[in-house]
Amino acid sequence: MVVSRRGFLKSGGIALFGVGLMGGIPSFMAEAAASEKVGRPYKRRRVLVCIFQRGAMDGLMAVTPFGDAYLKAARPNLFVGDGLTDLDGRWGLHRGLKAFEPLFREGRLGIVHGIGSPNNTRSHFDAQDYMESGTPFNKGTASGWLNRAVGLLGHDALTPFTAVSLTPALPRSLYGDNPSLAISNLQDFAIQLKGDPAVAAAAARSFEDSYVKAAPGMLEETGKKSFEAMKVLQAADIRNYRPAGGAIYPNSSLGSSMRQIAQLIKMDVGLEVAFTESSGWDTHFNQGTDNGIFARSATDLGDSIAAFWKDLDIYQDDVTVMTMTEFGRTVHQNGTGGTDHGRASCNFILGNQVAGGKVYGDVKALTVENLEDGRDLPVTTDFRSVFSAVADVHLQIANDKILFPDWSGVKASIMKA
Amino acid sequence: MKTVLKLLGIVVMLLGGHFMLSSFVGDAPAYKFPWRQVGLTERQAAAHLLSRFSYGAMPGQVDAVMQEGLENWWAKQLAADLPDDTLEALLRRYDALQLTNEQVVNLYPRLGQVAKMAIRDGVVNKDSIKTDRREYREMIRAYMSEKGYKPEQDLFRQFICQKILRAAYSNNQLQEVLTDFWFNHFNVSITKNDCAEFIPAYERDVIRPNSLGKFGDLLLKTAKSPAMLYYLDNFSSAVAVPEGAGMGAASLPGGDGTGDSAVEMAIAGKGADSETVAQVRQFRRSRGLNENYAREVMELHTLGVDGGYTQQDVTQAARVLTGWTVYPMNENAKKFVNRFNPDQLARRGFVHEGDFLFNANRHDKGEKMVLGHVFPAGGGYEEGVELLEMLAHHPSTARFICRKIAVRFVSDDPPQSLIDKMAKTFLQKDGDIRQVLITMVTAPEFWSPAAIREKTKSPFELAIGAVRSLHATIDQPYPLYTWITRMGEKMYYYQAPTGFPDKGVYWINAGSLLNRMNFGLALAEGQVPGVRVDLVTGRIPGMKADLADSAEAVGVAIGSPEYQRR
Repeated sequence: MVVSRRGFLKSGGIALFGVGLMGGIPSFMAEAAASEKVGRPYKRRRVLVCIFQRGAMDGLMAVTPFGDAYLKAARPNLFVGDGLTDLDGRWGLHRGLKAFEPLFREGRLGIVHGIGSPNNTRSHFDAQDYMESGTPFNKGTASGWLNRAVGLLGHDALTPFTAVSLTPALPRSLYGDNPSLAISNLQDFAIQLKGDPAVAAAAARSFEDSYVKAAPGMLEETGKKSFEAMKVLQAADIRNYRPAGGAIYPNSSLGSSMRQIAQLIKMDVGLEVAFTESSGWDTHFNQGTDNGIFARSATDLGDSIAAFWKDLDIYQDDVTVMTMTEFGRTVHQNGTGGTDHGRASCNFILGNQVAGGKVYGDVKALTVENLEDGRDLPVTTDFRSVFSAVADVHLQIANDKILFPDWSGVKASIMKA
Repeated sequence: MKTVLKLLGIVVMLLGGHFMLSSFVGDAPAYKFPWRQVGLTERQAAAHLLSRFSYGAMPGQVDAVMQEGLENWWAKQLAADLPDDTLEALLRRYDALQLTNEQVVNLYPRLGQVAKMAIRDGVVNKDSIKTDRREYREMIRAYMSEKGYKPEQDLFRQFICQKILRAAYSNNQLQEVLTDFWFNHFNVSITKNDCAEFIPAYERDVIRPNSLGKFGDLLLKTAKSPAMLYYLDNFSSAVAVPEGAGMGAASLPGGDGTGDSAVEMAIAGKGADSETVAQVRQFRRSRGLNENYAREVMELHTLGVDGGYTQQDVTQAARVLTGWTVYPMNENAKKFVNRFNPDQLARRGFVHEGDFLFNANRHDKGEKMVLGHVFPAGGGYEEGVELLEMLAHHPSTARFICRKIAVRFVSDDPPQSLIDKMAKTFLQKDGDIRQVLITMVTAPEFWSPAAIREKTKSPFELAIGAVRSLHATIDQPYPLYTWITRMGEKMYYYQAPTGFPDKGVYWINAGSLLNRMNFGLALAEGQVPGVRVDLVTGRIPGMKADLADSAEAVGVAIGSPEYQRR
């Protein structure tokens, strides 16, 4: 794998950038390559892809303890029995997530159940804020945990694409001093003017002039990178991208984000941390079972991730995908065919370094006395113990004190040693 | 090369301007700005002054300020009472800008509440709710218009539009710049639903009128505003009640305990709808201590993270502020709480001021100690005020706030000597923001060559600056907001209480810079909807003739590195 990928880069990857680039390889790529040679001679660049499921996914529906009589009783209309994939005799994968089954069986996909935050807030805003800052009891943490992760990669953010969020605005996870980019569509990474490409092209030349010829400074340096990056993306022909292996992404916002993340990875433009989000999880009303609101969101999530994985092809070794959600939902269904805000949920971690094929976590029978406040799946795994384990093994970030300042727990053993 | 020269010409024009406006000489202030001593020309000094205390010079404005006298212009900006008839006429097109919080709550209910009401009224069957279905959304829309409710998004849209119009057109530019500064300092965010609908009134009533006043007033008024109380959760903070103690320690007063039964009756009775019950419960129920506001008021609003407080101080301060909450605004809940006799409430230590409520029953009456200062047992509302006054006048606060002001108005890394001077004034003059600004602007450091054009414009400053430079007409402000968001500043949606970082490197990355260039191009080419740019000769005073057909060159100038600085 190592050889074939290196070979690919030499023969095809870098050459690709040469197309239409007068100066050959963009300078930020050359710098990045040079510094890697000095700093980490044999290490390849790894990519962590995080998907935030906004709205709080019902972990008990996504991955159901299908033999639990208490759950069945608590959810007369929401208990999913049929259509489940039995993972291990106790846990069943929701039908919408069936694309995960082969990945689980192959040992690449791990699941942590009972994951959540030690702060018991049931406010979406607060819980997301705490999970993204990585400090569940401190609102004032200026940076997000993923931004701190970028700072701990052991080198400067070398290219404009070191940390990219496929969202319209920078997410809380990426707030901070380390450069990160929010962009909802890579095609926007261009000088453009509606209906007048000629003017845009002329203007692009003038813009580039004004930045290249100006005295050096932060703006000018960044400006040069903008133009180089723009040309890289243009040369790669983003619009006509064809996923590998016949992978088909769902025609959804998440599917489009995941496709673009795959494109960035394959362009080898220095991506190391990617972020995007998935919505539709706040299922207070008519959550549905095999079909319905939950099933639609689950299918979108499962199919987007599975397509992404297939599309990665020879890049799979370099990538880990991790999902997260702010909390779980009540064990009992509510009066409107849905579930309300609860505590623990589950998350999915996919990658060749994941000790997958297993549902981790400490989840007891869902009797009332085993529930938090008598109603919710209790948090038995601190989200930071999972995030830090992934950051450690996948990105070689061992400094938990900076990554999660207020945390002193033990990392979850979910990755291959 | 020719285009580069032409470009430079346009940049110079955008930055300086050539035109003379009629002069006005008011009462000259007693001080002189020391720009000559550091080697600036008067034109450079006037341009610097405008770059720091306005959203950008309009054509001819540099000359106008020179004509008027720099100190005179500045004095009027400090007074912030210039007539603004044109702006006010523009703002009158928006019907939500003057609403009280209570009116907002009852006119713009949140979507979740609407759904519940629609179910209660039998308009929507609870089994048919599918939030992602068109017919459901249509039903809700019809229900809302029948009830006279408006979608919350309209409120935020109007609010955002007013910010853009004020920045572009207000004659009291300094006040607008400071409103932005203090809002960001005391940040609240539309991303948090609980506080979102209170944000327009927060800016209008709490931030803007106090932006040139005393820091202590800003601090106290933000502390008592619904937006902040919800954003940092203090609304729910109450003395911790041991489990099983019942509601006794945290109940509404009713003279002799009858309040409790009245609440219970209202909740149990069929008359109370679910929102009322929720509001009343919130009003009376103890949820225990919440430290979020107490921590951030020290870390972010006053002392600064290295300001010399401990976790112990945070917890103790949170206890001092227990019971600081929001007065119920929902019509039904209000009808209910209005039954209580105000005199009785006052006798029991309750304080009701506008939207603010000090709920004495939720207050921790034990002794506390914050930063070595003892608050004796038995205190009430006044000890919170005392705490905030103490914080507002603390030397760490003076340094922290003055540094932040200098970062905004001088450079990303202002000299310590300047901060020391400002902090001294801050402490001597009771946190008077005008006096601190005068100290800053009369110091040579303010005019230092190192400060000239050192700041990077935020996306908002870039967009408004370009509109002002081009004398553009904004018919519809919202498309500008879309651009500002794309350039990286989703105003009013910054999630963290830190507010947007105020430094160039935060705003500039490879993607945002391309969007700045695209914005310049779109604006000059007339492709920002709702914004009219007329480059025809004569439309812009002083603009050279050959610019009329050079929209592209103007766009390139707006996207140039030089124009990103101020």
